[in-house]
Amino acid sequence: QPGRLAPISPLFVALVCLAFCSRLSRMKAASICTNSQTGCHFLSLANLFDRVIHHSARMHGISNDLHSEFELYFLPSKNRVSRNCHTSTILTPNGKENAQRIAREELTEVILKLLLAWRDPLWHFHQNMARHHKFNNLSSNKSLEMSEMVHELRKGVQKVAEKMQMLGIISNSLGTLGSREALLASDSPEWRLMNDYNLLYCFRRDSNKIQNYLKILKCRIVPEHGC
Amino acid sequence: MRLEMSSNRQQRLCVAMMRNVGGVIVLSLLLVFVQLAAGESFSPPGTPKNIICRSPEKETFTCWWEPGSDGGLPTTYALYYRKENSDTVYECPDYKTAGKNSCFFNKNDTSIWVTYNITVVATNALGRAFSDPVEIDVVYIVMPNPPEEVTVTVIEDTNWPFLRVSWEPPEKADTRSGWITLIYELRIKLENEDEWEVHPAGQQKVFNIFSLRPDSTYHVQVRCKPDHGFWSEWSGTTFVKVPDYFPRERSMWILIAVFAAFIILTFTFIWLSYMKIHNLKHYVLPPVPGPKIKGFDKKALKNGKFEDIFSSLVVSDFPPTTSNYEDFIVENLEVFVPEEQELIMEDSKDLQDDSIKSENSTCDNDSGRGSCDSHTLLIDKGGGDKEEALQSDQEGSQDERVPTSPEEVMEEDLLACCDEKNSPDISEKVKFTPSLISPLPRYNLMNQPNPPEIGKKHCLSDSLLNPDSLPSYFTQPPSTKNDFRSNPWECNFNHKQHPLHPQTTGKEHLQVQNEISWVHVDRTEASLGVQAPSVRSTEYVEVQRVSGGNMVLLHPVSAGQENSGTMSHQTEHYSRVKTVNNDSGLLLLQKESTGEEMGICLSEEEVESRATSNGYTASITPTSEKPMVGINSTLPILDDRMASGYVDTATMFGLPTY
Repeated sequence: QPGRLAPISPLFVALVCLAFCSRLSRMKAASICTNSQTGCHFLSLANLFDRVIHHSARMHGISNDLHSEFELYFLPSKNRVSRNCHTSTILTPNGKENAQRIAREELTEVILKLLLAWRDPLWHFHQNMARHHKFNNLSSNKSLEMSEMVHELRKGVQKVAEKMQMLGIISNSLGTLGSREALLASDSPEWRLMNDYNLLYCFRRDSNKIQNYLKILKCRIVPEHGC
Repeated sequence: MRLEMSSNRQQRLCVAMMRNVGGVIVLSLLLVFVQLAAGESFSPPGTPKNIICRSPEKETFTCWWEPGSDGGLPTTYALYYRKENSDTVYECPDYKTAGKNSCFFNKNDTSIWVTYNITVVATNALGRAFSDPVEIDVVYIVMPNPPEEVTVTVIEDTNWPFLRVSWEPPEKADTRSGWITLIYELRIKLENEDEWEVHPAGQQKVFNIFSLRPDSTYHVQVRCKPDHGFWSEWSGTTFVKVPDYFPRERSMWILIAVFAAFIILTFTFIWLSYMKIHNLKHYVLPPVPGPKIKGFDKKALKNGKFEDIFSSLVVSDFPPTTSNYEDFIVENLEVFVPEEQELIMEDSKDLQDDSIKSENSTCDNDSGRGSCDSHTLLIDKGGGDKEEALQSDQEGSQDERVPTSPEEVMEEDLLACCDEKNSPDISEKVKFTPSLISPLPRYNLMNQPNPPEIGKKHCLSDSLLNPDSLPSYFTQPPSTKNDFRSNPWECNFNHKQHPLHPQTTGKEHLQVQNEISWVHVDRTEASLGVQAPSVRSTEYVEVQRVSGGNMVLLHPVSAGQENSGTMSHQTEHYSRVKTVNNDSGLLLLQKESTGEEMGICLSEEEVESRATSNGYTASITPTSEKPMVGINSTLPILDDRMASGYVDTATMFGLPTY
């Protein structure tokens, strides 16, 4: 009966609005931090870092699984071809001191370069797998997920870099340099020569690097949470 | 090209080794000669195996190998490694730090995310042995040291203490810079037990353990693992003693409550044992009266055959056809009372009129109450004449049934009345109205000079006419207490009763129950004075058998009622009274011959009463002067076998009018 609903509906709408507004205000209160409150900014940066670190950990886990499967089923010969990962041209710190000594901007740049360098090869790898049915469905899904995650993680790290630049933590020297090198790496035809096993091996290692570098970066910039 | 590279590598390896072992070979050759002279055999060394490399903090690493047989000669071992994509062969920089058969790589020599190709060579005077190469990446061989500073404390803030375990990561592992991320695990066990209880703790360094056993000692150990690596060894055992705790307050109340409950239970059991179990059972679980529906088979119900049960309840000839109507009507004999009681009768008549309409619809075969007023039925069927209930012992019945003694007769009646186990197959004809009952107990005229004094209940029912079905009805004795309603099921046989005096106040309602239904009998009051059952309405009177022949003694009334005549024997023969003429003529209904057992002694008058098709008219002419009811000699003779009657009209017949 519309007669009865008429007085109720505006009340209902008002209640709903109240509920939403309270929620929104709460959210806003969480996200709106006045610039003077530096703690507020750092907190959100730490959250961002946590997110990308979790993301990279998941990506590494998938790559580890795929590599183990490949090794199990395809039994590569002992005398493997040298593992010339196409990302070997990217200079990466291969020790703790080196990683700690390197500048934050460089470290961030290295991460971004790595992520960019793997975008195309993983996509092609997935296409290859799907086309030739070399993997079962589960592994094929993993390869797809892996290629997507590289893409998303790169965006996430870009956001973190932007945030850090905004906060003045790192300088604005990022950008063109990193992308150029990365483009070179991704354009090099070397990655097309890699066989599947090598590709997986190389990516497993590189995803580990990315995860480790992100952790180092986080504990250097926002050390108070979980370092 | 690659093959060439590998052969080059091997050549360089050989060269290096040659230089080192050259001198040794010479010496060993000498030794061999010596030993050969002594008679022993030598052989080249066996291959080293099981090369295991581990890194405690992802900054250095150590490799261990298992030496093979040494062939009886002094054997040296060397470890050579190559780094990824480089052909340079390096030898282990440090054989000492990590102990025997080991190689330690310090920070400068360690590269993370680089594949090492490691080979161990055993050399003795007679030859060399190469182990299988092992490829490692330091990132994946991390096995940290056990956690350190494991402390366990007992937190006793609340009534229930718990353990708090805390630890620190191993010193060498750099978790602060984020280089290594460790996850922890702890295990705990009681001192005497063998099985550990393992608790994963994630990345936290504190852990609480609850549910402790008081006054006991626990062993606690912790270990850790990096993201991708191996578990460390368990830390050294930490001992902790949990104090003896017992939350007193709560436990005391619990004890008290349990004790009290125990005492209460004990007393309850004692009390129960004193009480008779039977009483208790009846107290707790009052017996449920079974269904007393005509045609209802309890056993069938138990078997669960519902169709059978309900089908048996369905009586084919219900509702009865009109032709049988008279059979079902249970008429009451109305006995006119002397004039002094006519007023009362009038009143009752008026009441009856009123009640007719209201009670019309209440007459129901299935109702458990005596909702059928016989008078209403009679009016419906019989044309509106009021009838008075009469009971009279039929004199004639005396002939048919020869009771050995009045007592026996009474007993028979008793049995007949109180037999509740009547099979539910009551004759279907007796459906509607139950028979009227005499509220008065019969008296044993034979035995007692004052028959009215004798109290005996009459149990009347339609089914008396039915030999198959014994009545399971009872009449309440009209007692002065007016409590006849209380026990409809009970047949109270109280010989000492005096309910010859019906209650004089108000109407009595007798509840007659036969198997079919209750008959609600209204009794006018003590207007039933002496003999004549005054009541017009459903006044039931018990007609004493007239011994002398045509004498009918009616007495539902007060005990003071005088029975004129002697009572014939107490055999009860009842005939249904269909209508009562206003002039006190009784129409006795007889069931169509259903072969009821009820032997009705027919007097001559009774026989006459059979003249009519479905019923017999017996006319009773009460005298105004005397309470006797006279019966026309024209009364048809009631047949014995025509059961139905509850009213013993036999004696009524032929009663001379007074």
